Amino acid sequence: MNIPNTPSPERSPRILVIDDEEQIRRALRSILQARHYRVDTAATGEEGVSLAMDHTPDLIILDLTLPDISGLEVAAQLRVWYEGPIVVLSVRDADADKIAALDLGADDYLTKPFSAGEILARIRAHLRRTSGTEASVRVITAGNLVIDLAKRAVTVAGRPVHLTRTEFDILALLARYADRVVTSRMLLEQVWGPDYASDTQTLRVHVSHLRQKIEPAGGVPRYVLTEPGVGFRFVGDQEEHS
Amino acid sequence: MRPSRLLTALGGYPLVLLVVGAATAILLPFRSVLSPAQVMLLYVPIIVGLARSSGVRASVAAAVAATLAVDLLFVPPYYHITVASPVDWVTLVLFLGVAVAAGLQTGRMRQRERAAVQRQREIALLNRLSSRLVSEESVESMASSIVHEVVAVLGADRAALFVRTPGDSSELLAQAGAPEAGLTEHALADWVIRNDKAVALPSSEDVPVELRPVTVAADEALSGTVADGTFVPLQTPDGLEGVLYARPLAGAGLHRGGTRQLLAVANLAAVFLERRRLEQAAAHSNALRESDRLKATLVSSVSHELKTPLAAVMARVTGLIEEGEGCDAARVQSELAAASEDLHRLDSSIRDLVDVSRLESDAWRPKPDLYELGEVLGTVAERIPVSQRARVTFEVPPDLPEVWVDFAQLARAIYNLVENALLYTSVEEPVTVGARVLGGDLLVWVEDRGPGIPEEEKQQVFEKFYRGSTSGPSPAGTGLGLAIVREIVRSHGGHVWVDDVQPSGARFVLSLPLGGTAT
Repeated sequence: MNIPNTPSPERSPRILVIDDEEQIRRALRSILQARHYRVDTAATGEEGVSLAMDHTPDLIILDLTLPDISGLEVAAQLRVWYEGPIVVLSVRDADADKIAALDLGADDYLTKPFSAGEILARIRAHLRRTSGTEASVRVITAGNLVIDLAKRAVTVAGRPVHLTRTEFDILALLARYADRVVTSRMLLEQVWGPDYASDTQTLRVHVSHLRQKIEPAGGVPRYVLTEPGVGFRFVGDQEEHS
Repeated sequence: MRPSRLLTALGGYPLVLLVVGAATAILLPFRSVLSPAQVMLLYVPIIVGLARSSGVRASVAAAVAATLAVDLLFVPPYYHITVASPVDWVTLVLFLGVAVAAGLQTGRMRQRERAAVQRQREIALLNRLSSRLVSEESVESMASSIVHEVVAVLGADRAALFVRTPGDSSELLAQAGAPEAGLTEHALADWVIRNDKAVALPSSEDVPVELRPVTVAADEALSGTVADGTFVPLQTPDGLEGVLYARPLAGAGLHRGGTRQLLAVANLAAVFLERRRLEQAAAHSNALRESDRLKATLVSSVSHELKTPLAAVMARVTGLIEEGEGCDAARVQSELAAASEDLHRLDSSIRDLVDVSRLESDAWRPKPDLYELGEVLGTVAERIPVSQRARVTFEVPPDLPEVWVDFAQLARAIYNLVENALLYTSVEEPVTVGARVLGGDLLVWVEDRGPGIPEEEKQQVFEKFYRGSTSGPSPAGTGLGLAIVREIVRSHGGHVWVDDVQPSGARFVLSLPLGGTAT
């Protein structure tokens, strides 16, 4: 794995890892420090919250199972004042926890065990977004799909595709958050407005139409994947994380 | 109410007066042309008819009424008990005697006929029940036949079958007829189980004393209770199996011979419950043996599947540490890449083991929702390693209906099949995922061009820890992948099977009900 956009040490982003497992803390510390991130670690929820208040981190990695207060509680406490990205770690299939964490304001989740490649890719994506370097992104490309955010134009394999306003808004939002789960609630609030936050059926219908227009023939989506019970995820250009 | 019931309800005597009165009214105008003897003769068939329809007592009453009518209306002087000629006395007395005798005889015949019909019904009932008993019917249907027969044949208003629980109380197994009326039914059934005595069993002359269970009145069993029906303990030589309860129609008893029939049905029910208990015990011990065997396989599989990659990783990593600083960077990279592969294998083995135990312990119930199959396949496709993705083609019709499934489980099942197909066939061979609607089911299949599955292994491949016996290469794996597929499909109310593909290959087919029966 090469190390693109390695931050310079003095201005390097500060990452807070809250996890009760010593091995995970050690592994993350060494992975992140090797990429010149500054790392703080906390073994309990309370320690994590107080560390976050001492040195406001640029990103928080939060395990959902903590010995003192639950990770969800920590996320809720942090969200009151902390505006940076929170990436939640959870064991596999604790779907309800993942959804709850996203609804409480976590930005992303990763399932243990994860590879260094996966977590570094997420961290870079979130930091790009919050540092404002992403604002200049005008065209998003994935496979055959090209989305021109400024011109509101989409092409598949060079051929223009006509999307309705709603379909484009959905696609643009998903693509801006590529490789991250965007909850149905967030899509509905941002595309339709806060009053429509629970109308998931309408959302499903629009996503289905969007897929018919941009996905490869054969009815198997490649760009817009369903995250059951949570929302949708746009798959950007893939790198094998292993 | 049937006509015969109506007659019974009238108690016979009003009917007798009605019929004799009507006959008298018809005969009266012909008094001048008919002799008293002829009139008497005409009354005889009426008395016999009443004997047939209403029994002995009614026929005797009819004989007396007819004698009085003849005396008063047909033998001069009319409207007086006394008669003019002593010969008429003799005739009247003779008539009374003949009429009573004819009535008695007919009435007895009627009783015997009825008893025969009753017997026949009873034998038919027992035949039906006992043939069901040997025909291996399901417990539910047998139990419900028993209570329904009690209602239909014995004329009960409600019947219930209770089984004895290990804690010596009663558990309702089946019921028929009217709903439970009071709260005492269950309490009395419990009492019967604990005391092995019948409650409120009517005595009956046609049941030998030694075949009658000891019976008590309801308030003797539980003070303050009134039994509105009969509780019969279901005894076998091995002990008490349960309780049969029958509640007669309000105001009426059970049919004639009801006690005997109830006891006969109770005997059969006891045999049935005993068989059920023995079968359950046998199934339980089989399940225990099977679970012991699986535990043993699990331990050996776990130790093999978990320890092998772990040992490999440990060897590589300690090897690198051993070599120290002088180690060439390219070699470090390649060793670490190999270790990472081993770790993925370890992760997937752990995942299989956890999933199979969650599925079996019902801790992973499907949480179904409506999805397009394409959405699920999109997730499956994304999970396929990039290096293998070109081998897999999806042939899915665009107009498939949505399915009611647990997304994560179905994706797991289809992915397992794809992964198997990729593993068990050589790298240049394609794998196809297809789907179509057939009747009320959605079929999804994964097809490969490998060696196929031998006929005799087509069932076994879905067993836990089963590894193909074919001489070909046996890739690493827990042997749980297909067992997980089967469990998932089962919990969705579907099936999975494997077909041959010509000229060679295997096609694993999932069939899921479109209506959705995931629980």
